[in-house]
Amino acid sequence: MNDDTIICRCEEVTLGEIKQAIKEGARDVNGIKRRTRAGMGLCQGRTCEKLVQMILKQELGKEYKELKPASDRPPVRPLTFGVLGGDKDE
Amino acid sequence: MNSYDVVIIGGGVIGTCTAYYLSSKGVKVAVVEKNDIASGTSGKCDGNILINDKKPGFDTLMAYKSQQLFKELEKEIEYNFDYSQRGSLYIIESEDEWDVAREYVDQQVEDGYSMRMLSKKEIHEQEPYLAADIIGGIEIDCDAAINPMLLAYGLAVEAEKSGADFYNHNKVEDIILNKEGSVEAVITDKEKLYTDNIINCAGVWAPKIGKMVGIDIPIKPRQGQILVSEKTFPVGKRKIVEFGYMMAKFGGEDYSRDVSPELEELGIAFVFEPTLENNFLIGSSRAFVGFDTDISFEVMRGLAKRAVRFFPVMENINVIRAYAGLRPYVPDHFPIVSDVKEVPGFYIAAGHEGDGIGLSPITAKLITQMICKDTLSIDVEKLSFSRFSNNQNY
Repeated sequence: MNDDTIICRCEEVTLGEIKQAIKEGARDVNGIKRRTRAGMGLCQGRTCEKLVQMILKQELGKEYKELKPASDRPPVRPLTFGVLGGDKDE
Repeated sequence: MNSYDVVIIGGGVIGTCTAYYLSSKGVKVAVVEKNDIASGTSGKCDGNILINDKKPGFDTLMAYKSQQLFKELEKEIEYNFDYSQRGSLYIIESEDEWDVAREYVDQQVEDGYSMRMLSKKEIHEQEPYLAADIIGGIEIDCDAAINPMLLAYGLAVEAEKSGADFYNHNKVEDIILNKEGSVEAVITDKEKLYTDNIINCAGVWAPKIGKMVGIDIPIKPRQGQILVSEKTFPVGKRKIVEFGYMMAKFGGEDYSRDVSPELEELGIAFVFEPTLENNFLIGSSRAFVGFDTDISFEVMRGLAKRAVRFFPVMENINVIRAYAGLRPYVPDHFPIVSDVKEVPGFYIAAGHEGDGIGLSPITAKLITQMICKDTLSIDVEKLSFSRFSNNQNY
């Protein structure tokens, strides 16, 4: 992996950008996410969260169990406004 | 010994902006933040830089001055915080709303703000996806948007360049006053920072900090929930708000909206914000539920219903996330930007409810002027902490 490697595919965030976010003070997945958008896309971090955790572990020299996971928020999968609003069936 | 001219408590947009203005004037500043920068309210909101939700007069003037400061910040700060001035649009559902809107626009135009009424034909030409029954709108030119998290990080980076120190992941445990009752030091779980001046920028947590110096700050957390869409085509061109939002915000008694009792109960009003990343955010809701940031399904459903009412095309667009933040509510809807007579050296810059992002530069500027004893940009009497002790209604 080099700094141009894409870590978050939905938002096209690179390893270099994630390292920079850690340099600027990010200490967990949420901090990376707010700074870089990694995990803000359609899949909501399902693909990249583990990779981001790995980078945090390497850069900060921490154990996985010390790293906070991203906050889980609904919906569990994308849902249209029509279905969510209750006026349309899936 | 760690010693500072000023210690700022809270690393949200208000705290980081204050750190930026103070340190750029050569003041030695420390920022103490219990988690990460922008991890509280500033990371769980939208990015409004608006006058459209302000009452005519002082309220609008303060927001307008802040908008001008954002234009400067955009040039001064290296970080790109997604500033865009695309204007805003109020959408009007009924003749009753039209009359109230007309009065509002006449007053604002008389006060020198650039805005106009849009006829039914004009509004549908400009926003072709809007529901067909909308009868008109108000177009406001100066309104803008930013990404509040990037703003806070950008301000923090600039403040650090000017010598500010950031103590993130430091929880304030106590404040020490000297024999005369003036500010002396801030104690965190990791550090002791000596200072003559403390600025309480802790938003919904400001009352906890206030208690440490023996004062009651009348701020309450008010939860607001937001839905995020997938990346999609430009459904709307700018910030779009239902006119009834003003009523949901101020609890006006002049008219009522044609909405279900459930929506009214949840304080739901349609607010649409397109981001520069081609997602859009849908708000808004208001609820007093303590410090709870859990998502309510009823609110999600209500927000989605209201969104489809104004933009039927959203019916087939995906919601990818919901989040909730806590807005620092003050009963009279004005923030507290003030010194505290009872505790020399203690200042408060908090209580902006949903206006904190937009008002962050003017707030930070005013506090900086107070600390540096410079001329104030606007009269701050309405923002004073002493208004609560003078008026027993609070």
